[in-house]
Amino acid sequence: MLRGLKLFGLFARISTLNEMQYRANFFIQLLQSFISLGTGLAVLAVVFSYTDNLHGWSGGELLAVMGVHILMGGIMRTVIQPNMGRLMEDVQEGTLDYALTKPEDSQVMVSVRQFAIWAVVDVLMGIIVLVWALVSIGNRTTLASALLFVVAMFLGAVMIYCVFLMFTTLAFWFVRVWELMEMFQSLYQAGRWPVGIYPDWLRAGLTYLIPVAFAVTVPAEALTGRLTPQTILIAAAFTLVLMWVSRAVWKYGLRHYTSASS
Amino acid sequence: MKPAIHVRDLTKVFKVPERDAGLKAATLSLFKRKYKEVRAVDSIAFDIQPGEVVGFLGPNGAGKTTTLKMLAGLLYPTSGELDVLGYLPEKRQKDFLRQITLVMGQRSQLNWDIPAIDSFELNRAIYSIPRKQYEETRDELIELMLLGDLINKPVRNLSLGERMKVEAVGALLHRPQVLFLDEPTIGLDVTMQRRIRRFIQEYNARYNATVLLTSHYMADVQALCKRVIVIHHGKLLYDGGLAGLVERFSAMKTLSVTFSDMNGHAPDFSTFGTVISQEPNRVSLRVGKAETPNVTARMLADLPVTDLTVEDPPIEEVIEHVFEQPKEDDEKKETA
Amino acid sequence: MLARARDYADLYLVNAKTAIIGQFQYRLANLMFLVHLVIEPLIYLIVWTNVAEAQGGSVGGYTASTFAAYYIVWTLVRQFNLSLSPFSFEWRIKNGRLAGELLRPVHPIHYDLGFFLGIKVPYVVYWLPAGLILWLIFRPVIELTWWQVAAFPVALMLGFLVRFAMLWLLGLITFWTTRVSAIFDLFFTLELLLSGRLVPLELMPGWAQDIAAWLPFQWAFGFPIEVLIGRLAPDQIVRGFAIQVIWIAVSYTVIHLVWKRGIKHFTAVGG
Repeated sequence: MLRGLKLFGLFARISTLNEMQYRANFFIQLLQSFISLGTGLAVLAVVFSYTDNLHGWSGGELLAVMGVHILMGGIMRTVIQPNMGRLMEDVQEGTLDYALTKPEDSQVMVSVRQFAIWAVVDVLMGIIVLVWALVSIGNRTTLASALLFVVAMFLGAVMIYCVFLMFTTLAFWFVRVWELMEMFQSLYQAGRWPVGIYPDWLRAGLTYLIPVAFAVTVPAEALTGRLTPQTILIAAAFTLVLMWVSRAVWKYGLRHYTSASS
Repeated sequence: MKPAIHVRDLTKVFKVPERDAGLKAATLSLFKRKYKEVRAVDSIAFDIQPGEVVGFLGPNGAGKTTTLKMLAGLLYPTSGELDVLGYLPEKRQKDFLRQITLVMGQRSQLNWDIPAIDSFELNRAIYSIPRKQYEETRDELIELMLLGDLINKPVRNLSLGERMKVEAVGALLHRPQVLFLDEPTIGLDVTMQRRIRRFIQEYNARYNATVLLTSHYMADVQALCKRVIVIHHGKLLYDGGLAGLVERFSAMKTLSVTFSDMNGHAPDFSTFGTVISQEPNRVSLRVGKAETPNVTARMLADLPVTDLTVEDPPIEEVIEHVFEQPKEDDEKKETA
Repeated sequence: MLARARDYADLYLVNAKTAIIGQFQYRLANLMFLVHLVIEPLIYLIVWTNVAEAQGGSVGGYTASTFAAYYIVWTLVRQFNLSLSPFSFEWRIKNGRLAGELLRPVHPIHYDLGFFLGIKVPYVVYWLPAGLILWLIFRPVIELTWWQVAAFPVALMLGFLVRFAMLWLLGLITFWTTRVSAIFDLFFTLELLLSGRLVPLELMPGWAQDIAAWLPFQWAFGFPIEVLIGRLAPDQIVRGFAIQVIWIAVSYTVIHLVWKRGIKHFTAVGG
């Protein structure tokens, strides 16, 4: 675990140094983040021009949900998605062997190689939107709820990672899984809204199949004083289950890959 | 006979933006850019007759691909005269495009998701090849290349060599009269290289097609081309028979001489020829062919020679030397 | 002239066939793509249903079941107006594929158009079960008249041609600069807000509708939907067709001009 973190730090530093050569990309990312923020605000504005609450959430509270959504999306795009994309590419091009021949746990190896520094812009943007939202609704965030928020964010990120890894493992069997990225992205978009608004079947899917509920709604609940102790316990337990299952799936896929490829 | 390809004073100059490192420079370059001119091709000239197979040689960055692209109409020249089959390539007229093909060994034109046979069918429609002629050509080429069942598999599942075979057939279905082949055998194993070569030969013989080919493998050139054109730094260095190339660039001979102990009193070897390497008791010299007997005799008479060999370098090495030593190239060119 | 027309017909047909063969190969990919396509309108539908219910049943004349009709037809229109992404254009220029395509005696746009016309067949086939499921879950209400049914395919097809042209034109920017992702993003944001993709345009603020009227977006998205779900009178539909045709004529003329200049630039620098 510690070795994995060290390795991650190393890869992150190298790719950051490398990216520093292309600083124009920073401005493009900034521009894109602003466009995306503007879109989100416009959507909220249109919806709240017709109503003043959506399933018990006020406009300001939904802004907080959006902040968490951007923040978690930034984390996803900085560390999770680039690695999974690289993994898919490697499986397709047959270059995964290089990663597998390194003296390191294969799952750790494929999960820490990439780091997209500019996506950090979204992390910062998410925090700003979140603070802005909390101030505008006059929320008095206690230390306990802030701590709970951090824990919930951490669990949510781990869950997203586990599910992403499992989906990417499909690349071992199917050649073309790029659509997977798009599917994942659009399912994640569902998290812009608190999952409470969705019908039961969809809410269940967004909770246990693609844990958007845990990744976005739960942290937002922590900050807006809606979180029950049971929910955070369920989140912790579910995280452990996902970690175990995704590791098993990864190992199974890897065995298939190493026995099938030439 | 009118040449199939006619090139005079062909020049291509690229403007390359120059940028200094750092954020400030990067931001500044958004507003004002500095450019540097690069002469990729520098007033070259040649004619190629219909049916000729010509090897186009030069190191990476010599301007080979740039020239091929100009001939195919993908790049327009900065200046010069260009005529391929009576057309001006840069106009890319349909009748012109129907008579040429460009194969790049590293780039695929086939759709990877579908079997090659379906991609062939697509090419038939693109080139509006009459159905009967298409089927004839297709079957002929498939047989020539020994494709067999490969055409029914999705291209994605083919090996690199198999893909190249399929690619070559697809590129010739419209029976082009002029073939531009850029590294057609790159990355292939020896057997596969030989197969592709045979195929090009057969096609050339059957349709009297003109072929201009670049390759890093001298074996390709030796097997296919009677004539080679050598360019370096965008300039034409040599144009003529392959035998002449060896003759010409081995107009120099390499002399390797070993001496018994000279007690550090080595003479000035540059009076004998160009020194390639020198050790206390050994020297390698480059000497003009005509002077070789003379120099050898002088050395044997004046120096304590224990061993002396005269070598004619192999063609790869000749070319390598030409490319590695730009200054000497210029000298040779002037004396040519 | 006749021979040329036949050649083109042949080209489109073979190209469409190729697209169909290629697409049917990847069943899992198609399934995931379908989920991706359906989830987006599903979110909008649920949000607006929530809003409608909070407002006592309807928003701006839309009830839960008319919203359902709108967004289910949305999925079909979306499947149908899928076009070459400008990102593919970027890819095609970067990896040199375009160079090969320029050497063919056919303008590449025919090639793409044929492909995307063909790909509609698998897309619509895959859409059918998804549309049926959505229908059963959300119980939309559509009152169909014969002229709505007759006008819809026309609006759909013209809409596709509008969107295809816009995106192709956008892709052409890659000839001049490789940093295009932000421009593309901006385009898609405008499309989202001003086409009827996010929400029926009638529900947008008046000033936004005024802007949208001068832009092509709604003619590729909202218009075909509104035709089928019966929000438009016959004369509005005919007027819509005319505007679609004008946009098609304008954008293909612009493509023709920009393409010529782009190629000139491309063949000067060598891709």
